[in-house]
Formats: sequence, structure tokens, C-alpha cells
Amino acid sequence: MNTRSPLVAGLVAVAGVALIIIAIVYWAEPASSLPSFFPGHVGKQAAEAGHHHVKHGIAAFFVGLAALVFAWFQTGKKKSAA
Amino acid sequence: MIVASLISYAQAIVLGLLQGVSELFPISSLGHSVILPRLLGWNIHQNDPYFLSFLVATHLATAIVLLLFFWRDWVRIVKGMGRSLRDRGIAPDDHDAKLGWLLVVGTIPAGILGLLLEHSLRRVFASAESAAIFLMLNGFLLYGAERLRRRAPQTEGDDDARLAKQLGFPAAFGIGAAQALALIPGFSRAGATMGGGLLAGLSNRDAARFTFLLATPIIGAAAILKLPELFGPNGDGVRGQALVGSLCSGVTAYFAVRFLLRFFETNRLTPFALYCGIAGAICAAVIPFL
Repeated sequence: MNTRSPLVAGLVAVAGVALIIIAIVYWAEPASSLPSFFPGHVGKQAAEAGHHHVKHGIAAFFVGLAALVFAWFQTGKKKSAA
Repeated sequence: MIVASLISYAQAIVLGLLQGVSELFPISSLGHSVILPRLLGWNIHQNDPYFLSFLVATHLATAIVLLLFFWRDWVRIVKGMGRSLRDRGIAPDDHDAKLGWLLVVGTIPAGILGLLLEHSLRRVFASAESAAIFLMLNGFLLYGAERLRRRAPQTEGDDDARLAKQLGFPAAFGIGAAQALALIPGFSRAGATMGGGLLAGLSNRDAARFTFLLATPIIGAAAILKLPELFGPNGDGVRGQALVGSLCSGVTAYFAVRFLLRFFETNRLTPFALYCGIAGAICAAVIPFL
């Protein structure tokens, strides 16, 4: 993490926010209401139509959080060992 | 629903004692919890909801013991991470911060793979026969990690400083990803992590220490995530046994971590590799006739 780039920091921060929004969608919407390109989406007639993919949401949330932390480090001024 | 005799207290004690040891020894706790009931003729199967609830409690006990055992280390690590967030970077001499972020990086792949694959892998590899075969393969994995270790171990200096210096973020990510093997009953999470640590150039002692630190958030989070099952209908009839099993698990986990940290000061993974290889082979040969 010694090489710092505002562009990378910005892109990673956007990705982090997007992942946290995706996490919220996973928690809020049942599998049948998820956008079709989301992993875990099923049709309205499927047996798991009402299932909430809580674990998918947790995974997306923590990866998003990690991305935000990475972006935060990228914007720092002090010399890093990492 | 008759649930009072799903797991007896005697079984809970045996399974709890076994869980505490086998979770931290590199010999696969999940594999043993699948194989042992079959060998002893117990009508317990790893995918039974009540048994999963029982296991949640024993895992939580193990995680609590690990957290308390390394409490001072965790306080230092968390403070270091706080410093790095405040400074927006990891200072070159801040080993606690570096170790903390190494643990985070190692936890991410293990956590994601665990969240996404655990259910399906458990369903596919639920049998004692497959667990015995994978236990044997775990022995080969441990032996291979010892044979292929990258360089001579260093044992001088402060433990955490050495870990932080020797381990990079890609290696920590790889070690974390290797833990996903443990989702298959028979493969050991501790074994995969220690093996990964050895391949990354750590000594056995440092690999064990990193394994235990890395295990705490993973085991704890997995247990907390499933804790509602223990207090829901799936926990009916097993809560008392789960409490007893947890206490047993906590006691053996404490002694296991103490023993292993001393053991790996001078010893290697080879004895565990031999145990897994031989026990796995014997079980694979015997179980089909039970």
C-alpha cells in the first residue's frame, strides 16, 4: 500500500459504497425480488422465492467495508509499512 | 415432538471434550464430529438441525476461550488498528497494526467462502466415509506443508513483530483462503492455516500463533451467526446438553491452545499428519462395514 493513487482510492471507495448498498438490498428483499443479475435471484414460483439471502448480504457488507478502509488508507499522507 | 434424547449428556460430554481439542489441533473437528458418532453407533448426523445447534454452542465456547487466552494481544492489536485508521496508514514499526490488518485480510476470504459454501459443502460431504477419506488427505496436506516449507524458521525476537515482518498481505489472503478447505469434513482449518503459514515462511510456533488469532473471529462470528438456531425450535431438547458440551469444549480448548503453543516451539506438524493419515485410513476401511 505504499503506492497511492487518488484514482484507485476513488474507484475502491465507490465499489465499497456499492457493495454496502448491495448488502442492504440482500437483507431487505426476498430472493424473488432481487435484480436478476444478483447471485441468489430466483423466480416468483420457486420454493425459495421468499428466502432472504442474509449471508450474501453479510459477505457483501464486509467486503464493502474492507474496500472503504483500503480507500481510506490510500488517501493518507503518512508513509506506510504495508 | 420428542426431543429429550437427541443427544444424551454423556454424548454431550464426549463431543464437547473432542470439539475443544480437535478444533485447535490440526486434525479436523468437523471430521471427528462426523466420524466418531458413526464409530460408536450413535444416531447423530452432522446435518441434523439439533446437532448443528449443539455444535454452535461448543464452537462459541472455543472462540470465547481463544479470545480470553489472547485478550492482551487482541487489545494491543485493536489499538494498533485504531492508530493506523487515525493516521491513514500503517507505520513501519507498528507491528500490532500490521498484524491486525493481516488478520482482517486473512479473515475476508475465509469468511466469504464460509458464508457462501458452508451449507452446500456440508450437504455434499456429509458422510462418515468421505470424512475419513478427507481426514487421510488432511494428513498428506500437513506432511506436504512441512516438506515444502519455504525457508528455515526464525525464532528470535518478539512474536508479533516477527509475524508482521515475515507475513505479507497476499500471503495472509492465501492463508485465509486455505481455511475454506475446512468446510469439508475431514480437512482441518487449523491444519490448512498452519500449513499455509509454513509455506509463507513462518516457523511452526508463529504459524500456530497466527492460526489461533485468525481462528478467533472466524469461529466466533460463525457461532454468533447461528446462535439464534440454538435458542429457536432447533435448540429444543439440546440446550442443557449444549451447555455441558460447551463447558467441556471450553476446558479442553484452553488446555489445547496452551499445549500447542509450547509444542510448536520445538515440534512440527508431522505427528498430526501421521495421526490423520493412519486414523483416516483405518476409519475409511472400517466404516463401510459398520
